[in-house]
Amino acid sequence: MTRKTKAVRTLPLHVALVAVGALMVVPLVYAALSGFKSTDELSRNAFGLPEHWLTGNYTDILGSGDFWRLLGNSTLIAVATTVLVVAVSALAAFSFARFAFRGRELMFTFFTMGLMFPFAVAALPLFLLLRYLDLLDNPLGVILPQAAYGLPMTIIILRGFFRQIPGELEEAATLDGCSPFGFFWRVLLPMARPALGTVSVLAVVTSWNNFFLPLLVFTDNTWWTLPIGVQQFQGQYSAEYARVFAYLVLAMVPALAFYSVAERQLVGGLTAGATKG
Amino acid sequence: MTSTFLPDRRSGPDVELPPPSAAFARGRARRRLLNWLTAVGFQVPALVLFIGLVLLPMLFALYAAFFRWGGFGMPSDYTGTDNFTRLFKDPVFLGDLWRCLVLVVLSLALQLPFALAMAVALNQRLRGRAVYRMLFFAPYVLSEAITGVLFSMVFAPDDGLADHVLGGIGLDGLGGEWFADPSYVMATLFLVMTWKYFGFHMMLYLAGLQSIPAELTEAALIDGANAWQRFRNVTLPLLAPTLRISVFLSVIGSIQLFDLVWVVTQGGPDHHSETMAVTMFQYGFKRYQVGYASAISVVMFGICLVFALAYQRFVLRRDLEGATTTMRGDGK
Amino acid sequence: MGDRALSRRGFLAASAAAGMGVTALSACGGDSDGGSSDGTTTVEWWNISTTEPAKTVWAGLAKKFEAQNPKVKLKIVQLENDAYKSKMTALTASGKLPDIFHTWGGGVLKQQVDAGLVEDVTDRTKPWVDGLLSVAKAPYILDDRTYAIPFDIGMVGFWYNKALFKQAGVSTPPTTWSGFLDAVKKLRAKGITPLALAGKEKWPGMYYWAYLAMRTAGLDALQKASDDKDFTGAGFVEAGQHLKELVQLHPFQKGFLGAAYSTPTGQAASVGNGKAAMELMGQWAPAVEADAGKGLGKNLGFFPFPAVEGGKGVITEVFGGGGGHALRKGAPQAAVDFLKFFASETTDIQLVKKTGVLPVVPAAESAITDPNTKAVQAQLKGATGFQLFLDQAYAPAVGQEVNDSVAALIAGSKSPEQVTQSITKTAKEEQ
Repeated sequence: MTRKTKAVRTLPLHVALVAVGALMVVPLVYAALSGFKSTDELSRNAFGLPEHWLTGNYTDILGSGDFWRLLGNSTLIAVATTVLVVAVSALAAFSFARFAFRGRELMFTFFTMGLMFPFAVAALPLFLLLRYLDLLDNPLGVILPQAAYGLPMTIIILRGFFRQIPGELEEAATLDGCSPFGFFWRVLLPMARPALGTVSVLAVVTSWNNFFLPLLVFTDNTWWTLPIGVQQFQGQYSAEYARVFAYLVLAMVPALAFYSVAERQLVGGLTAGATKG
Repeated sequence: MTSTFLPDRRSGPDVELPPPSAAFARGRARRRLLNWLTAVGFQVPALVLFIGLVLLPMLFALYAAFFRWGGFGMPSDYTGTDNFTRLFKDPVFLGDLWRCLVLVVLSLALQLPFALAMAVALNQRLRGRAVYRMLFFAPYVLSEAITGVLFSMVFAPDDGLADHVLGGIGLDGLGGEWFADPSYVMATLFLVMTWKYFGFHMMLYLAGLQSIPAELTEAALIDGANAWQRFRNVTLPLLAPTLRISVFLSVIGSIQLFDLVWVVTQGGPDHHSETMAVTMFQYGFKRYQVGYASAISVVMFGICLVFALAYQRFVLRRDLEGATTTMRGDGK
Repeated sequence: MGDRALSRRGFLAASAAAGMGVTALSACGGDSDGGSSDGTTTVEWWNISTTEPAKTVWAGLAKKFEAQNPKVKLKIVQLENDAYKSKMTALTASGKLPDIFHTWGGGVLKQQVDAGLVEDVTDRTKPWVDGLLSVAKAPYILDDRTYAIPFDIGMVGFWYNKALFKQAGVSTPPTTWSGFLDAVKKLRAKGITPLALAGKEKWPGMYYWAYLAMRTAGLDALQKASDDKDFTGAGFVEAGQHLKELVQLHPFQKGFLGAAYSTPTGQAASVGNGKAAMELMGQWAPAVEADAGKGLGKNLGFFPFPAVEGGKGVITEVFGGGGGHALRKGAPQAAVDFLKFFASETTDIQLVKKTGVLPVVPAAESAITDPNTKAVQAQLKGATGFQLFLDQAYAPAVGQEVNDSVAALIAGSKSPEQVTQSITKTAKEEQ
């Protein structure tokens, strides 16, 4: 196939992708640009380029120690939650995927039931429980419940992937004298890297954007996370929409940055695992 | 030399086993117990977290659904199934059920196939595909607050980006009141939902597509299959487990939709975009009728449960055979 | 092979770091108790003044109080409105409220009082509480006992664009309902949007119905309806009918059903940018109009809600509310002292001057400079009756139902009779 025909072939595809990409990106660009405007310019000139590029909104936020502390809190909590939920789920998913034991499907359904319960109603009893356990104003009070609520989805996804690892690999490992845990740790996990990457990204994103739980748990603002900061900020500057946009955009950046890095890991893991001998 | 669990976990007919003996039979029973313990052992951390932090609050909410409770102290005003009967007579709640169905159907018919198409498109060696991937997933990464604020502005009547753009390309008549219009609010909401969530499903499909060995599609190509045939006969069946998970999550997600609706319309105008979860939140946190809200959540849970069980039984069952090792008592 | 080892190391490193980070930090988390090791009492003060200038001014006042009371330390916890409400719900459920907390009075406060969580401050504030404006104190007095002290009071009325009125030929603001409907028609005839409404938030719409109920059925009937849990009286149905009359003139801005209040495309901005001629809003309206939009400056005027011909209410009856501070049961004496401090004349003058609120201490009104604020203050002072915001005054469920039903009336899906019926139904369920 000549390069020209190949290009022509893929042109409609590219057009479609660009169109979709534009739809995705335009609202984001709008938010970013709005951060550079003054608020009443927003109601007059909502969608054009800023008349004057006001960096004040962005620099004010970046300059305040508060923002960085919130960022740090969100990061710490997100990482801890992710590590916990992925580790615990991988263990459980392994059990579901590679062992046949009595009551397996029942237990699996048991976990998936967790998916079906809306968090908002569990919020009040959960709050009382955390208070009883003295976990308020403590990051663990957010990390543990977040991990717990992330279990169902993560287990479901991981189980699906773990199942696809061929049985022969497992036999080879056991023939080599590998214990089940050894197989899990040395063979299965590295091979399931795309899946692990996927669930990690999901866990980080969910934790990053979680607003309600940190709000309930943290009274003292030392531990506040970014979404609470956004809400506070929005409440404080509620009518100063341009500033709010600046804050929102800055709050988005870490999550997007994380995703772009994780993405590469995903790709890296894939090419490594794809080598066949 | 052989490990304790090997004889029971073999698959395939071509492995020879020594003839059974009494000692062996006893050992096998012990091994089976060990096997079970190991399997459950892997579950313990998950169980502890789950029972403690998810199940217990859930049970409490179930309990509260039978009371009239304002959220202060403990529930004390037992009302039996009153909350439930009231629920099913409430036109708003019945409307919620209908809207839930609409959302599920729309998502399955439009959102998921779109995500699949994008995943397939991005699975090839394409220039700039990493950029596309990031762009498509980016909305999922955003918080509901941002999305809500953003799209309130985009869909503001007359002044909003949407109307500007439509005007710019000459489709003036298409613009309406978007979120403010009771007849079109659900459609507009669905657009925003798709914008935000299709990237998630696309990611799932991408990961699934990438674990399909290339040789299979290559083999099909060599056999003379065209792109559509390759997709239908090779890719799709192998992608099936991922698809099933994605459908499951999508349905559950649609049933529980809250954040986005709350931020953008709060269920309005006049309840026309309200979902069960929004109603539940209204009653629980605004009207301080926590017992009633708990009843709503129990119903939501019930619906999800019925769906999950039916799904598990009829759809996912096929996944049970094949890829997993099975316990064989007779070595066959 | 190398790759796998790398990933495992990475995984271990991450979990170790996270684990250590969490244990280290959790060791110092959860240690905030009002301990008085050296004789100082720490008093927690929860408020919602997250916006400027209130935020800085209040912080300054806190420092002043601490200076006057060396043995007391004030710990301020500030949350924005919605977050505050959610947090308070959770705290109320757990039975422990903060020492000093912001309250809007009415139904929610009553629920907290009934649960035994609020301190009855009637006796301890008696010496000085009479100096406060009676309309200001009203929302916080339940069964003749005082449970909170106000710092802010306000009322709802019509804020209008003088230039647009002139353009439409409306020479003076209307004082009767029919005059008002006429003004609306005249504005529409000139292509001007008569009213801006934040349909999405529902409470701005409730203001119309509340005032109409006050004007047709009268304040006493409104109170009686609340006590008897019966809103089906003829006066209330009439109120709904009057509102329906107005809605049928199509007076609101395009897309009003989805409009918010304080956003750049919402109700306040519509008026602030000169796109709509009027809004029915509380005393904070000018500030929000200037924030969300450009603001009308000298062009902004205020007139009270007109009287309805043949109705039992009069134009001097006022609908509004404000903010106050309540104490949890068993709060330290320092907290009571704080209430006195915050309600003192000197403090109030500061609040009026620097944060633009209306005074709760009559003497502080000398500090008002803005003519619109003066106009509102005059109305408040001359008020012959007062009604607290309905979604505050009533039990939360009833308040929400009022908002919802009126929104349905405005959207055209409920009739005036149905509105009264559903409010009554919810009120009866709340017993």
